[in-house]
Amino acid sequence: MALLEIRNLNFTYSGKEEPALKDISLSVESGDFVLLCGESGCGKTTLLKLLKPELRPAGRCEGEILFLDTPTDKLDARTSVTEIGYVMQNPENQTVTDKVWHELAFGLESLGESTPVIRRKVAEICGFFGIGDWYHKKTSELSGGQKQLLALASVMVMNPRVLILDEPTAQLDPIAAASFLASLRKINEELGITVIIAEHRLEEVFPMANRVLLMDRAKVCLYDTPRRVGALLSGGTVPHKLAVGMPAAVRLFAALGESGESPLTVREGKQYIATHFYDTEKRCELPEKPAEEREVAIGIAGGYFRYERETPDVLSGLDLEIYKNEILCILGANGAGKTTLLRVLSGVRRLYKGKYRLWGKKIKEYNTNTLYRGNIACLPQNPQNLFVKNTVYDDLLEVTKLFGIPKGEREEKIGRLADRLGITPLFGAHPYDLSGGEQQKAALLKLLLMDPKILLLDEPTKGLDPASKVTFAAILADLKKEGKTIVLVTHDVEFAAEYADRCAMFFDGQIVSVADRVDFFSENRYYTTAAARMTRPMFENAVTVEMAVKLCLENGRRP
Amino acid sequence: MTENKKKIIKIITILCVLFILIPFVIWFGVKIFEDRKYNLVSVIIAALSCVPFFVRFERGKSGAREMVVISVMTAFSVLGRLVFAPIPGFKPVTAMTVISGIALGGEAGFIVGGMSALVSNIFFGQGPWTPFQMFVWGLLGFLSGVVFRKTCRPNRLVLSLFGVLGGVLYSLLMDIWTTLSFDGTFLLSRYLANVAASLPFMAVYAVSNVIFLLLLARPFLEKLGRIKTKYGIFRTEDSEN
Amino acid sequence: MRYFDRLHPISAFCYFLMMLLVAMLTMHPVIVTVCYLSSVTFLGMLIGGRKLLSSLAYSVPLVLMLAVTNPMFVHRGETILFFLNDNPVTREAIVYGVFASMMLMSVFYLCRCYSEIMTADKFIYLFGRAIPKLSLVLSMILAFLPKMKRKFREIDEAQRALGIYATESYVDRIRSRMRVLSILLTNSFETSVETADSMRARGYGLRGRTSYAIYRFTPSDAMYLLFTLAAGGALFALILSGGADFSYYPALTPLTWSPRDAALTLLLVTLAGSSVFMEVKETVLWHYLRSGI
Repeated sequence: MALLEIRNLNFTYSGKEEPALKDISLSVESGDFVLLCGESGCGKTTLLKLLKPELRPAGRCEGEILFLDTPTDKLDARTSVTEIGYVMQNPENQTVTDKVWHELAFGLESLGESTPVIRRKVAEICGFFGIGDWYHKKTSELSGGQKQLLALASVMVMNPRVLILDEPTAQLDPIAAASFLASLRKINEELGITVIIAEHRLEEVFPMANRVLLMDRAKVCLYDTPRRVGALLSGGTVPHKLAVGMPAAVRLFAALGESGESPLTVREGKQYIATHFYDTEKRCELPEKPAEEREVAIGIAGGYFRYERETPDVLSGLDLEIYKNEILCILGANGAGKTTLLRVLSGVRRLYKGKYRLWGKKIKEYNTNTLYRGNIACLPQNPQNLFVKNTVYDDLLEVTKLFGIPKGEREEKIGRLADRLGITPLFGAHPYDLSGGEQQKAALLKLLLMDPKILLLDEPTKGLDPASKVTFAAILADLKKEGKTIVLVTHDVEFAAEYADRCAMFFDGQIVSVADRVDFFSENRYYTTAAARMTRPMFENAVTVEMAVKLCLENGRRP
Repeated sequence: MTENKKKIIKIITILCVLFILIPFVIWFGVKIFEDRKYNLVSVIIAALSCVPFFVRFERGKSGAREMVVISVMTAFSVLGRLVFAPIPGFKPVTAMTVISGIALGGEAGFIVGGMSALVSNIFFGQGPWTPFQMFVWGLLGFLSGVVFRKTCRPNRLVLSLFGVLGGVLYSLLMDIWTTLSFDGTFLLSRYLANVAASLPFMAVYAVSNVIFLLLLARPFLEKLGRIKTKYGIFRTEDSEN
Repeated sequence: MRYFDRLHPISAFCYFLMMLLVAMLTMHPVIVTVCYLSSVTFLGMLIGGRKLLSSLAYSVPLVLMLAVTNPMFVHRGETILFFLNDNPVTREAIVYGVFASMMLMSVFYLCRCYSEIMTADKFIYLFGRAIPKLSLVLSMILAFLPKMKRKFREIDEAQRALGIYATESYVDRIRSRMRVLSILLTNSFETSVETADSMRARGYGLRGRTSYAIYRFTPSDAMYLLFTLAAGGALFALILSGGADFSYYPALTPLTWSPRDAALTLLLVTLAGSSVFMEVKETVLWHYLRSGI
């Protein structure tokens, strides 16, 4: 008997024509770890929500979802609450109460458990997840990773048989994401609890899964073990866009057109390259860059910054030169002060010591008008922070007024930029009804209305699915062609390695290294891409999967 | 129609409780404590006056979404009070409460007003005045729900008038507490002196209420309207008919 | 750690309730004085001498001011000191002013102590059973507030970097603040739906919800509760039977020292002083224990 059985499921949201799910049939066995991936908008969230009766969206549903042979809509309310656990994307929004202990007890309170029972179960869960230290804290004092772990623990405390997670690490930094996934693995392996997880970042979670469910345009594209996904990808049965986000080893395997069982982790990928390919040619040929004198857009020398007199320096002795018309990625760990750096670059905060020159002129010589109109624009980490009005179009129109764009030009300008970013069809929608990638584009358009020469982007790939990242990168490349200077602050190593011109490492208030992307990542040993880690020591500068594939093919296969 | 009837019955029961229970407490206070304990009696009355509204909320069928929206509105008005704290008398609590009353109905309006007082006093200091503020703000929320029952896009003039009245009512009622707290009994001369002393505040209350209402009512009601239709909440309180 | 922090919320609440009732019930000068002194000392124990002094610097002038201004409203009393604008200023009115404002202050200080001890957590615990929905709403508001504060700052920075309403003029400051608030409200509403989903996913709305608390009722909590109840009850009996009757007008009632007065004063001193005593005991005990290590 399967734990979950879905038979010929079709679902259409009320008020919509196009079905959100088409003819889904699959079964999940007890103890499975199912990884669900696909573009945003392919129906992942809809499918997951249909599995949890309390969250079932309004709409027309055909077919059956059986939980232990009972249709989920006939499940007893208590059973569905306890047996099916659900964790959402945003750790911030799913904490309900103000104290950690209360949050943990929330579900058990709903079930009407007595105080001694709750006390025992909560104590147990705290032990399992190592929460004891912050049991008495306020939920608002926790870090993002801790909050998400708390969300997981407060579902686990009800002892579910299946745990459903909808992009739980999308809002977390890599370190927090890895530790969250480690807890998840523990739940699956040590307790045998079934896990169904939707994810975009697949490098770590792919090897944990024993089933991978790929969805495309409301349909199931494939449902198989992770090791066979590589071969299926190379076989061409799966659209290429879905391959983008796969782990480096799988992509390499697929790109080489192999068949059989693919390697999944960096370790397996390394062994695979070493046993199957020669490594005589160690370096990938790179196009020579003509040495030229480049104009400096932003130059900071010996910059110091702190928020308060009493607090420590966030920037201490910062030296940074940003050239005109380049894409610069500034990488660094969480909490290193990357966002602060961006605030200083955008002129919202000022250095208390050191020089900041913009186009060769001191920052003090600029005023609001000359700085923010046609010069610098900053995209905040959360694009939602820019939306004021109820539709995308009204929102853009409102801002053209504030930017002082002459009345006759407003519509034309919005229209032209929207066509370029491909968001014209979204004009009538509410900004919050858009997907993450679309919100990003709408916010970017807002900035472009001011014709900035320099674009500062704070963590722009956070929470984006791989396909959206590709389109976003294309937009950036397009803007660069136009002559814009683009600065990204990010911890998305893979994105930086793929699309940046130069990369810089920010640590302890300074830029500790800066180089062309290939040099930067091939010189780094730990803080580098999966492809670089996987191909070393055989190859020396293969920082992307494409480069690794090229080198493999150049070197040829071992007999 | 039946909905409307029910609503009227609801209001009548609430008023009955107010007009029967409160005189009883006064009588009891006079009887037991004899004269001069009106300060204590008035606190008890203020607290008691909140009870019927709170009980209705507890008994009501509002679910998770309604509760979340009420919490957001309350947290928002508390935040507003904190943000504007440097300017004395200039607080958006009344405006937020009135807006909640218009959009979510009188009952929710009362809860938002009352809880705003309770929670913001965690930061501004709790005291015997807390029940007073809870009741006054709650009542303003309730009244706005009743007055603007038929419309979700209230006339600006009526709204301004309501803001002025809200400011005056708040000031007058709080002066009653100030007077009672000192003498234990109601001394008209002192009350008038208190009212006179707080006239500038009353003016600031009234003006700030009007400013906040005129600036915030439109956009906020739009936002609340969207949430209400998108998630199908506060239906019974709606003026769909 | 302070004794009252450890004390079970019910016992602590009972103490404050009794003290507030006594303080507000009567204007007897002895009772008012005892209440005033004990509440000031208790607050001093809780927040430390330095903070207390700055608080007193506020309140003592206020007491004096109210005492001086009272004769302007009240012209009763038989001992006329002098005339001001043809109105008599009486000794009784001044004395009344002093004690009335002292009573106000002791209520104020008791409320300060209450705020120090009875955190929202304890309030929610006390009323969680009686008003489960409201106390959950309270907890949710307290969870939303810090989130919103952080978000407010975030949005503010984002808007500034756009250069909208960025000048320091008064109108621009108010407009930018309104704009940020407006964005914040949309954001809070849209994201709060996820909060509601998370509640329902964890069974909110099922019948028979209980409320969990981390507090344990120990025998010593019970002892203290019994003590406050007994002392408070006896005090009320004495006060309501006329033991604390005192009139300021037309003439001050002379203070007597009957057995009933003595009993009343003694009871009040024990009740009011118990908080201070417990805090002192706790401090001494702690020092003793630590020196024993």
